[in-house]
Amino acid sequence: MSTAMNFGAKNFKPRPPDKGAFPLDHFGECSASKERFMECLRRNDFQSGACRELSMAYLQCRMERQVPGGSPFPPAPPRRPLVFVGVQLMANEPLEKLGFKDLIDEKPEAKPQKS
Amino acid sequence: VVPGETALAFYKAKNPTDKPIIGISTYNVVPFEAGQYFNKIQCFCFEEQRLNPQEEVDMPVFFYIDPEFAEDPKMAKVDLITLSYTFFEAKEGQHLPLPGYQ
Repeated sequence: MSTAMNFGAKNFKPRPPDKGAFPLDHFGECSASKERFMECLRRNDFQSGACRELSMAYLQCRMERQVPGGSPFPPAPPRRPLVFVGVQLMANEPLEKLGFKDLIDEKPEAKPQKS
Repeated sequence: VVPGETALAFYKAKNPTDKPIIGISTYNVVPFEAGQYFNKIQCFCFEEQRLNPQEEVDMPVFFYIDPEFAEDPKMAKVDLITLSYTFFEAKEGQHLPLPGYQ
């Protein structure tokens, strides 16, 4: 059913994201990574392709971080008490599946791991 | 952005009030016909997000434009696609209805 306010226009049906929602980075743990990415975009006239390595690094940062509690608002009924378990800022996903396969194939030696 | 290539974009949200706000966002794409080619892998939308008083957070969207976009003659003149988000304040127990579904 449409609200019928837009005569003749098709209904725009928003679709949920394939892999769900990002938890908020309340403590800015990946802000530095984001800033490097944004600086790269500014330097490259906002050509996204020029900064894919940094976008990959940002997503890796998220995967490495956990935030307590997940959603602070208990989900819809039945209500569960808040439990402080670690929730990642992004679920682990092989980077090849996130469209970075070509970047990974280019660099067969692993990037230095954070200690 | 190249069709088929994954891309990252950031929005920023601030809660300027002195109370926490729980919000839900939904999105819109213009031009309308390009929306079918816009694929979100992960974003901050559709789920409740809490912003504490005066808190400012980065909101990432990880997406790609379907490569079929480049094959669609109706999209030949489209070189700018605009993605916008609207935040609604969530009421307790509220679910954001997807438009078109009742």
